[in-house]
Amino acid sequence: MAFANEHITAYAVEATEFPDLARRYRVTGVPKTVVNDAVEILGALPQDMFVSQALAGVLPAAGQPEEQPKG
Amino acid sequence: MSLLAPNEQDQLRAWFGEMAGPVRLLFFTQTIGCEPCAQTRRILDELPPLSDKITIDEVNFVLEKEKAAQYGVDRVPAIALLASGTNGTADKDSRIRFLGSPSGHEFMSLIQAILLVGGAASHLSDDNRKRIAAVDKPVTIQVFSTPT
Repeated sequence: MAFANEHITAYAVEATEFPDLARRYRVTGVPKTVVNDAVEILGALPQDMFVSQALAGVLPAAGQPEEQPKG
Repeated sequence: MSLLAPNEQDQLRAWFGEMAGPVRLLFFTQTIGCEPCAQTRRILDELPPLSDKITIDEVNFVLEKEKAAQYGVDRVPAIALLASGTNGTADKDSRIRFLGSPSGHEFMSLIQAILLVGGAASHLSDDNRKRIAAVDKPVTIQVFSTPT
């Protein structure tokens, strides 16, 4: 996704090496995706759903009402 | 002694052979107080012998704070993937980063990222690519994983 849009930066984070990050983002399982510190996705999703959920906060038209950012 | 079995090296060599353009990995590291940094260096050292399109540039995280900040790196080990410039053109930042040593599952993620930056076809559908292209605000995506 980062490669497809210059506004997007993507980090693959090794959770066990950085427990401070794992705590801050409440990583209780993997893969866990956090977008702009707001949207959280736990587990792997089909591509369409992943893109919809990941961009829900920045691309309103792409989001679905029941998948708003948590907490 | 390689970390990779001969058949794994052959597979990687074949994949890298399909790359259209060269890829530079900026490896942010420090000597003291970073055990995974040495492990990451050993893993990364496996790659250039398999392809002349892959280069590793080491960046001292302690001495080159500005460069780390430029690439959004605030901890090590970290890897930033760039499409290498050819014929004097500048490198192009892919904005793909790896934090922590790329072992286990993360190794395959790194390989796929290298292939993507090197010109392999994206796994995104056309529809999703269009939706992603419409984003006009800064977005930071963090994907947490574990080696196993």
